[in-house]
Amino acid sequence: MNKIKTTSYVLLIVSVLAILYALIFCPADWIVYAIAIVCIPFFVLSFGLLTMSKPKKDEEEERREEPFIGY
Amino acid sequence: MYLMADILINVILAFLTGSLLLGFHRKVMARIQLRPGPPIIQYLLHSLKFFFKETSFPKTASMPFYIGIVVILAGIWVTGIIVGPVTKGSLMIIFGIYAIHKIVEHNSGSSSGSPYGKLSCVRAVFSAAGELPLFAGIAIIYFVCGSMNISDIIAYQSIHGALIFKAPFAALMFFTLILTKSPYSPFAITKGKDIVSGFETEHYGFLRGYIMFSESIAWYVLLWLFLTIFFGPIGILGYVVGMIIITAITAFINATTPMLNPNHSVMLQFTITLVCLIGSIVLLVL
Repeated sequence: MNKIKTTSYVLLIVSVLAILYALIFCPADWIVYAIAIVCIPFFVLSFGLLTMSKPKKDEEEERREEPFIGY
Repeated sequence: MYLMADILINVILAFLTGSLLLGFHRKVMARIQLRPGPPIIQYLLHSLKFFFKETSFPKTASMPFYIGIVVILAGIWVTGIIVGPVTKGSLMIIFGIYAIHKIVEHNSGSSSGSPYGKLSCVRAVFSAAGELPLFAGIAIIYFVCGSMNISDIIAYQSIHGALIFKAPFAALMFFTLILTKSPYSPFAITKGKDIVSGFETEHYGFLRGYIMFSESIAWYVLLWLFLTIFFGPIGILGYVVGMIIITAITAFINATTPMLNPNHSVMLQFTITLVCLIGSIVLLVL
């Protein structure tokens, strides 16, 4: 498992647990706001990093270089 | 439980409604230009589809800023949901959100390392003039209602009637902001097609889907704010009809108006703000 995948799983689990904590335990309002502002975007980010399709190994370099050809 | 559930429901509602409205916006523009256009649901489908598309990160991108700026964009619009529909808080925070949105456009363009992004980044600094109508509008609303809290403004309107009749120039300034933020707007110089897609050019794959997720929330929050601030307590049906009408009006304007060059865009926004501000002050004095 590569670094991005491991980080994404950790982010996903942490953000889901934080959102569930705010849903179930009703902490102070400011804690709920902080959890929502930080954890909802991180949940979507980690979900995206896990669901995105990765380029094939031999095409990866080409993809990373491609947008800058001609400059 | 209620607060977090309230926030989550509002975020999902904003994403779905905003996506459908932006799809509707594109449809109306297409019909005006005598094209069939994509289905209304296409924007929503694209947002979701991009999460599964192949994504790679450009070699010259400034990581992790390249990804982080997209997270910040989502974060500020979740804040917009909390300050707007959830808590009906202060308009000054909304102004702050728009200021950060401008910084996100600027940094998203510069972080990618693409020349198109960098041009967009420079234009984002120019187009800070787009925030002038919002700031002037908020100031006028404060002078009329005596408060910047959305809940107080709603309470004021339930007694004195809709604010659009008392401060029409402030409404016009706010509408200019809505127009600025709408897709293919004459003022949308940061995403002008002469620079491909501006600051979004190098954010493709799931990052583009993520940006579209945030933009649909942003569109919903903008329309919700306009309807709440200038029409008062209007109920769910009022919001639905109002959002559709405003989206159709902006689509009509955008379909029939060419994109302005940066100088003209800034000067026109500045002129509209100045004229409306003077008009508002005259109305206040009378």
